[in-house]
Parts: sequence; C-alpha cells; structure tokens
Amino acid sequence: MSDKNPLETKVSRRSVIKAAAAAGALQMGAPFIGNARAAEPVKIGLDNPLTGTYAAVGKNEMIGCQLAIEQINAKGGILGRPAKLLVEDSTSGDAGTAVQKARKLIERDKVSFLLGNVNSALAMAMAQVAYEKGVIHVVPGGHTDSITGTDCHWNVFRICNTTQMEAYAVGPELLKKGGKKWYFITPDYAFGHTLQAGLERAAAKIGAVKVGGDLTPLGTTDFSSYLIKAQAAKPDVIIFLTQGNDMINALKQAVQFGLEKRFHLAGAQQELEALEGLPPEARIGTWVFEWYWKQPGVPHVAEFVAAIKKKTGRVPTARTWFGFASTWTCALAANKAKSLDARKMAKALQGMKLPPEVGLMPEQPFFRAGQNQLIPTLYVGNAQAKGPGGPDDLFNVTEVVKGTDVAGTLEESGCKMVWPT
Amino acid sequence: MSALTRQRLSLALIWLALLTMPYWMNAVGGYTELGTRVLVLGLAAMALNFLLGFTGVLSFGHAAYFGLGAYGAGMAIKYLAPSTPLAIVIGVVLGTLAGAIIGALIVKLRGVYFAMVTIAFAQVFFFIAIRWNAVTGGDDGLTGWHRHALDLGFGKIDILNNDKAFYYLVLVLFAIAVGLMALLLRSPFGRTLLAIRENERRARFLGLPIEQHIWLSFVISCLFASLAGTLFALLSNFIDPHALHWSQSGNFVIMAVLGGMRSFWGPLVGAAIFVVLQDYVSSHTANWMSIIGLFFVLVVMFFPRGVLGMLRRKAKS
Repeated sequence: MSDKNPLETKVSRRSVIKAAAAAGALQMGAPFIGNARAAEPVKIGLDNPLTGTYAAVGKNEMIGCQLAIEQINAKGGILGRPAKLLVEDSTSGDAGTAVQKARKLIERDKVSFLLGNVNSALAMAMAQVAYEKGVIHVVPGGHTDSITGTDCHWNVFRICNTTQMEAYAVGPELLKKGGKKWYFITPDYAFGHTLQAGLERAAAKIGAVKVGGDLTPLGTTDFSSYLIKAQAAKPDVIIFLTQGNDMINALKQAVQFGLEKRFHLAGAQQELEALEGLPPEARIGTWVFEWYWKQPGVPHVAEFVAAIKKKTGRVPTARTWFGFASTWTCALAANKAKSLDARKMAKALQGMKLPPEVGLMPEQPFFRAGQNQLIPTLYVGNAQAKGPGGPDDLFNVTEVVKGTDVAGTLEESGCKMVWPT
Repeated sequence: MSALTRQRLSLALIWLALLTMPYWMNAVGGYTELGTRVLVLGLAAMALNFLLGFTGVLSFGHAAYFGLGAYGAGMAIKYLAPSTPLAIVIGVVLGTLAGAIIGALIVKLRGVYFAMVTIAFAQVFFFIAIRWNAVTGGDDGLTGWHRHALDLGFGKIDILNNDKAFYYLVLVLFAIAVGLMALLLRSPFGRTLLAIRENERRARFLGLPIEQHIWLSFVISCLFASLAGTLFALLSNFIDPHALHWSQSGNFVIMAVLGGMRSFWGPLVGAAIFVVLQDYVSSHTANWMSIIGLFFVLVVMFFPRGVLGMLRRKAKS
C-alpha cells in the first residue's frame, strides 16, 4: 500500500480482524495438541447425529453414553485406564459425512471402539469402515435387519432391536386394535424398507393384508399428499413407519385432517422423543417401545432414571438406554477379555448377558452368539395424551414381549459370520 | 527476486508440501486420509475453476459429473470387475460423456441461466441415484465394494490397506491432471478461453467459434471433475447420493472462490481451507456450517480475489 495516510493509526482495521481470526484459529488448534499429549485413556468414539431430523434422539444417546462413561470411570475404568468419549456429528442423513467421521475417529484419534448410528444407512456405512479397520463397532440405535443379518460382521454389535423383531412384536396388537387392512407410510431408506418388509411378513403370519403404501423421502415436512392417498385406499390401519421429526410431522398432519376418527393410526417403532414433540391430541395409536422408564419392580431402573433426571431434568428414553448400554458393552467386553484386542473382545461378547444394572429389563438381555444382536425385551402398548406418572408418562405398556419370542432363529437372520484368522 | 523466480519458488514449495504431506500431517493433528481428501476435492475445485475462472462460465452443477464419476467407479467394481484402474476409467468416461451431452445442450445459455440449467441437470442425476434403489442403493448409498490393490505385472501395490500408498496414487493422478490443465491454459486454446472470459463479444467479432470453445472447456472441466469423483469414491470405499446434490456443487464453487478463482492454485488452497475447517470445527460444534459461512462472508467482503489473490497482492506491494 503506497498511498499510506500519515495520520492513520498504527493498528488498522484489517490487522484487528487478522488478529481476531488468528485468535479464533488458535482456539481450534489448542484441543488437538491436548489430545496428542493425553494418550493414556481408552477412547470410545461416538459418530451420531447431532443435527437434522434425528438430532433429538442422537443427543439422548450421547447423554446415555456420558452417564455410562462416568459410571465406568467410577468403577475403575477399562482395564484400569480411564474411559474417554469422543463425539462427532454424523448429520442425520449424509452417509458420506458419517464415513468420513468414522475414519477420522479410527485413523487420527485411534479409538478402540466406534459407536453409532441412529440412521440405519449411516450405521451400515460405518460398519463397513469398522470392519475394514478391524475395530469393535457397537450400533446403539440403527434398526435395519442387515446390520446383524445378511451384512453381519464379527466386529459389529447391536443394542436396539432389528426391524423384524419390532414387527413381530407389534403385529398381533395392530390386528387386534385396528383391523386387517394395513396401509404403510414408510421412510425411503434402509430402516423403512426393512421395517415394512418385516410387518408384511408378520401380516402374512397372522392374516392381515397390505392395501397400499408410499415411500417418503427422509426429511419430508408435508405429508398431505400421502395422507390423501392413504384415505382413498380405505384401510383399517394407517401404519406410520417414519421416525424423528418426520414422525411428528406425519402424525400431526394426520390428526389435523381428522383421520384418527376414521382409521386406526398406529405404527411399529415409537419413541418418547416423538411423543413429546406431538400435541396431546396426536398422541394416539398402537406402538412398540424398546425401553420404557416406568418399569415397576425391575431393579436399578429407578436409579438410572434418577441419574439421568439429575443430568438433564428429563426422564431417560429408549435412546438414552441405547447409548448407556452400548458404552457399557465396550467396557464389559474389554474387562472380560482382559485386552483391547478387537478379536478377543468380540469373542468375549458372544452370548454375554448384560448385568442387571446395565440391562435394566425384566429379562436379562444378551448378545446372541453368531449374530452379535442383543436380544432384549419389547414393550407393546398405546400412546396416551397424559398418563398417571406425570408429564413424561406418555406411553401405556399393555404387553411385555420377550425378545426370544420374536427374534426368530439364527438361520432366519441370514447372518453367516466369518472370523479373521 | 524477479517475478519468475518467485513463481518457480512457490511452485516448488507447493509440490514439496504435497509430496511430504503424509509425513507431517499427523504431527499437526491431521491424518493421511484428510490429506487425500484435500487433494481430491482440490482437483474437483480446480476442474470447476477451469470453467469458472478461465472461461468465465459459472456451472452450479459440477457435483453431477463428480458424482457420476464416483458412482461409475463404485458400480464398475461392484458389478463388473474388481479392478481399480478399470473403475477410474469407467467413472471418468461416464462423467465426461454426460458432460459432453449436457454441455452441447446448454452452451448457448449465459450467466444465471447457464447456472440454473446446470443445477437442474445435476438434480436429475441426484434423483436417479436416490430413487433407483436396486442399482444405486438409494439413499443408503452404494456399499459392499472396496478399492483393490494395483497390479503392475511385476508386483502389487496395496492401496487398500496402506493409506500412504493410496495418497501417492491420488497425488500422481492429481499431478497429471493439473499438468494437463496448465498446458491447456498455456496453449492457444487456453488463451482463447481467456479472451472469451474477458470480452465474449469482441472474441466473437474476431471470428472465434465461441460455442465450441465453451463446450470443449465444459467437457474438459467435467473430465477432471469426474476423475476427482472416482478418487473420492475410492477414498471412502463408499458413495451416496449427497455427492450428486446441488449443495455439493455449491461447495466446489465456495472452494474456488475462497481460494481465489483467478489464480491457478487458488481452488486447491480453498479446498484445503474448506476441508480442514470442516474437519476441525465439526468436532467441536454441531453448528460448524455457520463458522464456514462466516469465514466465506469475510473472505468475499475483504478479499474478493480469494486467499491466494490476497497473498499475491501483499507480495506485490
């Protein structure tokens, strides 16, 4: 700059901006230097949605993970070393980002365990990375069958149910409460496809029929055209398989249309997060929950609920439990195998039962050997506008279904596990 | 120091940095795959800049050719044969072919109309990828395949498990692509493109076939964008429709503008800033996009010639 004003002060606006930018950049840099120094703890990497349609459920899983980390460290850590949780936002539907973050956690941060993802498609994509790198991967809440079915891997474990298990659990109740003509509103990705296929199989078993259905893109906000089509098909039950914000939008609009007066509005998987997001008049229908905070007589559940309430002020949801159980699974595997070797830990997990203070269910859930799928309890019931247990009691459990009754056989899962030599 | 020696020096510095990247990446908190990503997205942004910065035509749909390259590569390995070179060739041919056909349809359009139509065509491919579940895997992405070791006849290079080997494969292809682009820009053809960029009407009065030149420039740009796409798919061993989405096209434009679209290396610098910023900031906050947006606004407001343009001006003054 040749045309300098002699009266100009020494500190120009530009250098202030530069200094501010440099200070900002320093903030970014510092934590990484910190990471490099503290190589001591055992790292668990959570690659889960924090933004988008699954942000609410993703955050609840993270809270569960955090509580588990606190408990693990209070009880002596993993192999005597402290456990540390690293969190990355995978977004709700961008598998490319989830894969990138999984590689980052494994490559740079050298995590011993990878956790995630809420979105089944992202979970499958991450499982492929984890398999390639030979890292233990626990899927807290991605339900599509193939993760522990046809695409199963020796190192990939899953806490939540398969979509088929949910379908078999809720099918009879849908028939009883609604009727035999079913119409599907299904999200157009892995989870929706397999959940609908599962319900169709369940329907064939009990004598219900599919009269139509629509695939809706993930993140749909306007369901009116689908709902108009659904009415025209004259079903007994309109089955909503959407999740997250999509579930909230779909049910809200169905109730605005007054469909609940003419059809039974129901579905399979339902979550407390979605019911909380709904207006009271839309909290209706038959559903299956995968975990519920009100389980009288089941040991340790009350303590867990109290601990989460202390952390967040809200009751835990199934998602909180998924995160909690999957983080504990890592610690239990390492401590049982007495090693952080992925193969040894995977072997230790075969058939392992979750202890009561982690399982938090009437029947102790266990990882089925040869499939790596947790076989838990399922809770079938109906949504309610207001329950006797306070503002968080939005689900009324009418039937507790044993996982072993709906899980099918190992052969039916389609999993043929190959172990590395 | 004369301008020429300074230019040579900075060129040598760029290549030295790229050649040694895998060895200092970990020390500064990165990892090899991050470096590979920078190269791949840098190549895509440079390919876009061939059109944007040197021909003066804004394409907002380059993700289409990037994604077609990626899907071409992935599907070649999944359905045809387990060969990495074949995958790259098929991906590039697919992307370039699409570019040639679509380019011929739209070369007569200018300015915002050109940009709009490129977006529209890109979205066509996006919806094909997201809807055709049986072949593309739909929204779940294309899984169940991975890159294969390079068979050179006398030995194999394990690019699957060795990140550094794959990085150098990408670097070699990047160098060839960048070298070709530089040669083209120095040729009479490249000079003509600059003339079109500066004043299209005057170039037309000189008797230059404008449409053919823009078409060829578009096809060349698509060729290198699809090459970047194939490498992107091979890097993650995965591809999903988001690589075809218009927001991905927007990211390429951001990279080019961020780094400086009038300079040859600008888009690579822009890609490096974009990728590294995204990688670091997104570990700390879910709102990482707003940080990148803020940075972009600052650059456009204060350094309209991009980061590299700003450094250049500094060096001159």
